[in-house]
Amino acid sequence: MDELEILKKDWQKDDANYPKLTFEEIYKMLLKKSSSIVKWIFIISILEFIFWALISYVLKDADYNKKFQEYQAENIMFSIMVFGYLIIIYFLVRFFMNYRTISVTDNAKILMENILKTRRTVKQYVAVNLGFIIISAFVVLGIQFNRDQQMVSIIDNAAANGELLKFYSITIIVTLVVLGLTVGVLLLFYYLIYGILLKRLNNNYKELKKLEV
Amino acid sequence: MTKDKEQHFVALLEKHQNIIHKVCRLYTYNYNAHNDLFQEITIQLWRAYPKFRGDSKFSTWMYRVGLNTAISLYRKSKRRIKTQDFSDIQFKISAEEYDDTEEQQLKLLYNAVRQLNDIEKALVFLYLENKNYREISETMGISEVNARVKMNRIKTKLRTILNP
Repeated sequence: MDELEILKKDWQKDDANYPKLTFEEIYKMLLKKSSSIVKWIFIISILEFIFWALISYVLKDADYNKKFQEYQAENIMFSIMVFGYLIIIYFLVRFFMNYRTISVTDNAKILMENILKTRRTVKQYVAVNLGFIIISAFVVLGIQFNRDQQMVSIIDNAAANGELLKFYSITIIVTLVVLGLTVGVLLLFYYLIYGILLKRLNNNYKELKKLEV
Repeated sequence: MTKDKEQHFVALLEKHQNIIHKVCRLYTYNYNAHNDLFQEITIQLWRAYPKFRGDSKFSTWMYRVGLNTAISLYRKSKRRIKTQDFSDIQFKISAEEYDDTEEQQLKLLYNAVRQLNDIEKALVFLYLENKNYREISETMGISEVNARVKMNRIKTKLRTILNP
């Protein structure tokens, strides 16, 4: 008899030894909150929405707006803002659809795939937002180069001194470094959060996939 | 959700609770973790209950949700968070009694099974519960052939763990 058969015999005769919870005890559990991975992904994505909404709120403060009115660039800023909201709405719909398809009654592999699909959507959302920040930063920089009186006079001075190229390259390099750091910190942050949260699920999914080879 | 449905569900769960305890037995190593996982599976079962159509047996459905919770949804936490307090309930199986099998061989076998990974444990669990390969493959989402192959590999692995 092989090992598992011995174990099976014991496993099946062991029935009476398990704890017996009463009706009331089980009933009380229904009212408790779940702490599943899916719930955590959902909470994190809501926090992300709040985070990005706050960022756009900060960028939209009154002084800043006045400045763009000065530049007569409200139209460009308005389009950027609308585009930003469209991104949020699109991803909200996708998140919602993803969560609806996660069902604990699917087989293990499909369930894991659906959870990881949700994770991928979060990843795309982050990537799009980071791209959006980078593009917006350069649009704003471009507007300032062309329309900010102070900036225009600095540029004229630099041109007069023959340092125009130096000036442009320094400004662009500084902007790139700041953006690079911001993106880097955010990516590290996401990597840590999801890395920790999904480590076990990822391992189990890989294990199941391995069986198909 | 009607009160009746809730009562009916809890009654069914009370009757079949051993299935959940058994999942917890394979996937957790102490009293608190056992309770945490038991509670999470109960919550997931209750959430999924509206989708339970009764075309499969309640117990079969419980296997699926229980294992899915253990290998896909459940986060092992070091601390105990917001858990229903079991203090007044005496678990008949305490951490020590888990190992209190009469034969030394069984004790070693259980220890060996604990060293398997989550997916291997799931297959072993279904096997111990006398599920056939069709049911195992349907629960896990792999083909019957692969379930068989994997099961044989697990047996070899267990043998290696037992006789290093």
